[in-house]
Amino acid sequence: MTISGTRFETDRRTAMTLATGAVMLPLIPSSSLHAAVPSPAPLGLGRQQPFDSDWRFLRSAGEGFEAPDLDDKAWRSVDLPHDWSIEDVPGEASPRQVGPFTRDSVGGAATGFTVGGEGWYRKHFRLAALPADCRVEIEFDGVYMLSDVWLNGKNLGSHVHGYTPFSFDLTPHLRRDGDNVLAVRVRNLGKNSRWYSGSGIYREVRISILPTPARIAHWGVAAWTRRIADGQASIDVTTQTDNATADLMLTTRLRTDKGRIVAESTSPASGAVEQELTVKSPTLWSPDKPHLYTLESELKRGKTVVDRVSQPFGIRIVTMDAANGMKINDTPIKLRGACIHHDNGLLGAMAFSDADERRVRLLKARGFNAVRSSHNPASASFRSACDRLGMFLIEEAFDMWHVAKLKDDYSNYIAQDWENALAAMVKSARNSPSVIMWSIGNEVPDRSSPEGLEWCWKFSNAIKTMDPTRPITAGLNGVLGAPVIASEKTARPGFAGKTDDASTIFLDVPGYNYRLTDIEAEQKVHPERVIYASETFPVDAYDYQALLERAPYFMGEFVWTAMDYLGEAGCGATARVKANVPFYLAQYPWMNAWCGDIDLIGQQKPQSLVRDVIWGLSPVALLVQRPIPEGMKEFIAPWGWRDELPSWTWPDAAGKPMAVRIYSLGDKVELRLNGASMGTKSLTPQDKAIAEFQIAYASGTLEAIAYRNGKEIGRQRLETVSAPARLHVTAEKPARRADRQGLSYVAIEVHDAQGRIIPEAELPVQLVVNGPAALIGFGSASPFAVGSFQSDSAKTFRGRALAIVRGTGGKGSVRLEARTEGLAGGAATLRLG
Amino acid sequence: MDAPLYLPASAYEQPQTVDYLMSTANSSIAALLAVPAAKAILLAEIPEMEARISTPMLKPHLGNFSPRSLVQFGLFKADALDRVDVKLRALSTAKGSTQ
Repeated sequence: MTISGTRFETDRRTAMTLATGAVMLPLIPSSSLHAAVPSPAPLGLGRQQPFDSDWRFLRSAGEGFEAPDLDDKAWRSVDLPHDWSIEDVPGEASPRQVGPFTRDSVGGAATGFTVGGEGWYRKHFRLAALPADCRVEIEFDGVYMLSDVWLNGKNLGSHVHGYTPFSFDLTPHLRRDGDNVLAVRVRNLGKNSRWYSGSGIYREVRISILPTPARIAHWGVAAWTRRIADGQASIDVTTQTDNATADLMLTTRLRTDKGRIVAESTSPASGAVEQELTVKSPTLWSPDKPHLYTLESELKRGKTVVDRVSQPFGIRIVTMDAANGMKINDTPIKLRGACIHHDNGLLGAMAFSDADERRVRLLKARGFNAVRSSHNPASASFRSACDRLGMFLIEEAFDMWHVAKLKDDYSNYIAQDWENALAAMVKSARNSPSVIMWSIGNEVPDRSSPEGLEWCWKFSNAIKTMDPTRPITAGLNGVLGAPVIASEKTARPGFAGKTDDASTIFLDVPGYNYRLTDIEAEQKVHPERVIYASETFPVDAYDYQALLERAPYFMGEFVWTAMDYLGEAGCGATARVKANVPFYLAQYPWMNAWCGDIDLIGQQKPQSLVRDVIWGLSPVALLVQRPIPEGMKEFIAPWGWRDELPSWTWPDAAGKPMAVRIYSLGDKVELRLNGASMGTKSLTPQDKAIAEFQIAYASGTLEAIAYRNGKEIGRQRLETVSAPARLHVTAEKPARRADRQGLSYVAIEVHDAQGRIIPEAELPVQLVVNGPAALIGFGSASPFAVGSFQSDSAKTFRGRALAIVRGTGGKGSVRLEARTEGLAGGAATLRLG
Repeated sequence: MDAPLYLPASAYEQPQTVDYLMSTANSSIAALLAVPAAKAILLAEIPEMEARISTPMLKPHLGNFSPRSLVQFGLFKADALDRVDVKLRALSTAKGSTQ
């Protein structure tokens, strides 16, 4: 039997296994359907069955929409994930609004001038003929922000944390032989987020139908690698069961990716069962080799399988200490960290598995090996991608505690909800090998006050009770508070009676936000402290790399941010202002943060090209400063970057001086223009890998050559391009699935006759899609509100646009044609399935 | 190799504060403003102080940011803070606030 590490395939396999067992009953005919909707296939037994198709949606506030007999035929049909904030706002484009963006947004610049509000979802479903005492449970991976759930008109409960998974037992209110209606009200109200949150059921939904009340508890399996020694790994597994009876047995086993059992333990099932698995010659998990086993927990009565849970599991031990920094499986490793928000660019918050995986792939391609999920727990699909592709992950619970950052934010609910939120974050993710730390907050206001200290302790302690295998961290800005001493009862083990800072006293690994110059000084005072930089400015990449190389206790940096995100509009803005203007405040039409190494559609920005050099992925980068008009200056926000481009096409600059920068870790660089040397420059550590030249612009070929110890280590060339000639369309690999969760990405570029991208082309492009796929995202990396992300027309930015299509369910060829006036069009063909 | 464990503590007791010398680098703005003598020094050297820290974005963070940590964001100038620090050194050590 082949077992895949992916969540979808593993879940499907689990359902199949149950379907072939004694507990599965035949499906019923569809005679009892609700008359208002088409007949969905009845649901049979199985854990974690996809529940994303055929929802009805109404973007409106209202009362009584949960009523089971409500006629919802006129509601829009949607398949999840869904985010209404990325849909166009009603009305014509105007200077006040375009696409999903409007100046009148309540969230303003914070949410990228998008709109929240209230929306309702309804889903009709039927059940197969099931055992009388079966249990049915629904799980939402994330709904933003406030949600209320009803089944057949009966209220099941509410959820207030927009990023944590939650579930409800549907059993008491199910109609066994008729149409069931699940209704979800979602509200994204007021000023509640400092970034683009999206609105709606934006992550996956699963339904589990279990044959008996006896079951493995929801998130009830906790497994961790306790020891790796003498050629074997010892794994401790604790499994919580619900309603277990004396005749039930629990078997926990570990399978290879070929399905072979490498360890197994069987015990009577009652309450919490502790078992140990011993794996001989284990294949270990690491970011470079993310090997996954399948951890299978099986509850049986005699020969009948009552419940089975399968999940990926990686054998690894991570240690962090001041003497050695971080190690994985006893091998030192430095963090090359990426802070990212949760949105998927043109898709808004919709957490498609393919989109989340693409983000991880893009980050890995740029050398990142760690993500800080800022400032909320990641989607299950993103975490799964981290497990499968090899990316460390810091899961973060909160952006604030008891003191609001915004008046309608989660601080209004935390006092009542924090235990739910932390349990959901930790229990749903504690078996993921990628997760290395739990963060309890980011730049939390009032964290060092007496009240803040108590919250910090509560959060930290609660997590350690659920998972004592990972350190607690938080992102700390500014200063770390007054010196304080904790008692024996309260302190972390080994720290009683020792002076610590108020902000760090209950953290195992403090994260420093923008505190580059404090790291070494404070570590001298606290030599036991192991530190990472949980947020950094892109311009400090060289300094952090240098610190990484000289300070063993420093684990690495997490740049803010690795990818552009919607919201915090203009956080990394670069702008031209009059020489006497001290600063620039980004406002509409800015809509994305523009501080990412990678832009909104996945392309490298200048800071990424430079990071490639500093991290050793590239020997040299060549960038050209956009000319600054006389009397003006360039304002660069702290998270921003100089307005320089890998371009030597500046038609208005003939004969004018241009600033050209060569970035290299070599010791000498040379600049050539049309074959003639423009000079050489030596590079010392004080230059921080930057050599700047001033040369007069002349079209042609600009070339940078980098040397070390007299030998060339690399060269980079820029060419002046000619006029735009055609659109070039290419489909990204890998090939995608044909089903409704399958996405395909297609790049559209403006090329000249020689096939070179036009660096600053901004042209309107019309797309036509034919075949079993639908366009669900089309736009550019522009940081400005320039159009819809969901129409078939968009404007290129810096010569590029990106189209995203979603399978409609059928296999076959999909052809995308791109057209623009005056140029030759382009096309690409995808093969889905 | 054995995996480390991060075990929970048994009960919460408020940590004890330790005397320390306040400065624009190690003390939060909230902590400085809470000590009348320190506040007077700050306002004397940086008269526009209260206006600068009154923005809605910054207000929740006054317990986190020291004046010195905001130099990189352009809110304060290092030379003014140097003058504040000279005067703060003349004050006795602060105790009572954990911020």
